[in-house]
Amino acid sequence: MMPSGDFLDLLKKNGYELHSDSSGLERVSKEAHLELTEGTTVVAVRYKDGVMIAGDRRATAGNTVMYDRADKVLELDEYSVIAVAGSPAIAYEIARTLEHSFQYFRRSQLQELSLEGKLRMLSRLIRENFPMAMQGAGVIPILAIYDPQSGDDGGGKIFFYDALGAQFEVSDFATSGSGSVWIKGVLYHLNRWGKIPLANMNENQAITNIMKLLETASEYDSATGGYNSRSSIFPTIKKITSNGIADLQAEKLRQIYEKSVEVKLA
Amino acid sequence: MLDEPYRYLEAVSNRRDYVEDQLRQGSPVVSLQYDDGILLLTVGRGQRKIYEIHNHIALAAIGHAADIERLRLLATDAASVQGFQSSVDDVTLHRLTNFLLAPTVKREFEAVFSSPIIAKMLLVELNGVHCESQFISLNYDGTTQVDQKAGVLAGNEEIESVMRTHLSVPSQNISLQAAFELALETWAVGRHHSLQDNDNSNRNDEDNGDEDVIEKQQLLKIVQEAREQGEIEIGILDVPRRSKSKFRLLSTTETDAMVEYAREEL
Repeated sequence: MMPSGDFLDLLKKNGYELHSDSSGLERVSKEAHLELTEGTTVVAVRYKDGVMIAGDRRATAGNTVMYDRADKVLELDEYSVIAVAGSPAIAYEIARTLEHSFQYFRRSQLQELSLEGKLRMLSRLIRENFPMAMQGAGVIPILAIYDPQSGDDGGGKIFFYDALGAQFEVSDFATSGSGSVWIKGVLYHLNRWGKIPLANMNENQAITNIMKLLETASEYDSATGGYNSRSSIFPTIKKITSNGIADLQAEKLRQIYEKSVEVKLA
Repeated sequence: MLDEPYRYLEAVSNRRDYVEDQLRQGSPVVSLQYDDGILLLTVGRGQRKIYEIHNHIALAAIGHAADIERLRLLATDAASVQGFQSSVDDVTLHRLTNFLLAPTVKREFEAVFSSPIIAKMLLVELNGVHCESQFISLNYDGTTQVDQKAGVLAGNEEIESVMRTHLSVPSQNISLQAAFELALETWAVGRHHSLQDNDNSNRNDEDNGDEDVIEKQQLLKIVQEAREQGEIEIGILDVPRRSKSKFRLLSTTETDAMVEYAREEL
């Protein structure tokens, strides 16, 4: 039989199981008063040059802030980025598995995995994690991709998923995580009645809006971290264009924040 | 037969002759360091010969396509699983070659009742965590040769020796273009001797005169003839590349531009 290039199958043959038995997780977490690390706001918008995808930096367990420099926006390959919301332990493992799966397919089959193949792989991982999600360790990611085959206009693509792995493509924006409920309406409002539709924004306009949105989420959601001026912690923001993925550096974010996000009272 | 040492040695010797005869016409491969990484070059006839194994490891091979494929997948699978389960830093050329590929190839070579592996490989590693860049040649019988700045692969050891002599890698760093020109020249030297070797075996060792010295114009002619039947294949392990995987194949456009530049220089 022809090798499938399926990295999960290869891992299983080598005795690795991505999702362990979760049946005791709920009981154990209650008995041990174990709080699972979770929470977040991640957001992706299509803009003029492609897709911008971002996430806050806070990781919480119950009411405790566990970490304030978490990276929830993770590169999978040259044109794909996943932003993860939910339990970091599962989220990071899913992101890592995806990254290695895409690489393995390319190396073993001597061609890139198709866009549809990548989407199905993520669906499969989320679906296989469903028992864990039912115990409170779920992951609801956003996947942002620039498809060079689709040309300059339609290259940027955003997908979101439900807990069972169903995948949906959105035309303009997607958001996930505990803070997403506070900004989903704002995104709709901006896109429908804002001065410029999201898809027509230039890079600086997209960054400004994303920083405003994440600050809004942090205002209402304790699991979402805002801009920390003392430690100079900004959200993670990446852009995906025809040139591939690029990080937006802290200095640029600081300039835009000071100019357009921070409101200085006279 | 294995109870009779002489017959076993004779069988191995016959096997050696058979494999060497099969490899004699293989298009040589040249690899060397340049400013920003490592270049691998060959001229092929459609069948790809340069492959990515892991983030910083590449492979080139000559021989039977099916045997190359089997060994390539063996290395890719092992590297991918190790890189995922442990760390990509634990995937080293030393481990892949000495603990996996060389023992496998040796075992198959000495199993005189089954068909031998008809393949030789050149594996290269870009500045690993544990060592400097490495070039390891893996012979069809499982023996290896380690080099530090460059590596070659050809139908037999005599041709490889001539190529090594020609491939005097400058002590200071060189550009990708300069590395390409040196590699192509060395390939042509290898090709010339490979064809000569074949002619000699057909002519039963007739006097071949002073054919070790080859004019530059003659080398260009060899390259031109080879390009009419196939195309130049170049893979690079590129340090500045943003992606975790440093390997990429140069496009035909990039290769043609480099050939054109080299021709203008002459």
